[in-house]
Amino acid sequence: MTNFNAETYGMTQTNNQDVFSSWVNDHSDVLYYYAIKRGLSDQDAKDFVQETFLSAWRGFDNYREQSSVRTWLVAILRNKITDHFRKAINKVSVQSLGSEYNDHAFFDEYDHWKEGMHPKQWSVDLTNPAEVNDFRRIFTNCTAKLKQVQNIVFIMKYVDDLESEQICKELGITSSNYWVILHRAKVQLRACLEKNWLTN
Amino acid sequence: MSRKKLAHKLTGMNITITCKKAVEYISKKEEAKLSVLQRIQLWRHLAICSLCRRFAQQNRTMNDMFKMPGQQHRLTDDEKKEIIESVLGKN
Repeated sequence: MTNFNAETYGMTQTNNQDVFSSWVNDHSDVLYYYAIKRGLSDQDAKDFVQETFLSAWRGFDNYREQSSVRTWLVAILRNKITDHFRKAINKVSVQSLGSEYNDHAFFDEYDHWKEGMHPKQWSVDLTNPAEVNDFRRIFTNCTAKLKQVQNIVFIMKYVDDLESEQICKELGITSSNYWVILHRAKVQLRACLEKNWLTN
Repeated sequence: MSRKKLAHKLTGMNITITCKKAVEYISKKEEAKLSVLQRIQLWRHLAICSLCRRFAQQNRTMNDMFKMPGQQHRLTDDEKKEIIESVLGKN
């Protein structure tokens, strides 16, 4: 914390703490939800939220109201999570991601859809709330099977609407890594969804 | 490229692609990374292949599901209190 004459400005340590406490009460739910949506486990999400508030407290003076508090906090959280995934990717060979995906599993020697792997009719009525809930439950189970790294690529693309170049830059992967991860995971995910939806 | 040049190029090229390639192009198309030729190849393939048409449609459904907000997740009051105490205590 910078040294300034607290009494001159009528601010005290206690006021800062009150402000900080209100930030936790007002914004921790949103941050927690954001972390969960990134595919983090419950405990990891909570840890990241706490780390975010710790950083925010340490950087309390840096917050100059150039944006809303929530935007600022989410930015801190987002950077921490992206760092986490970048480190996770460094540890694992990108080639091993989607290694369950084998071209031969889905396509025959003519590169056509293999017998037994043909996409089937789903007929999900997305306007029917009951069906949407069912489908969402299955979708959640199937995306849980994706590796965290595959999942974050999806989130960055479809939820954040980021371009591939930016995703590659933030995660520290190459463009061809990106396409391999995305494409293979899509084909696998589709197959998982279909299997569980149709047998439901 | 002029129309004549394009027509000449297409005549000499195979514009039929396989399902495996089509499925790749369906993904890439989302980010507008297909060339004119690739777009034509994909369009032709989808016109005759109902399996890949299905894949394309299901791909869109999956994209929509990713964007849907899930159920609300909240922290308990105790958990929030714990954060406050933990952070302020460490300072």
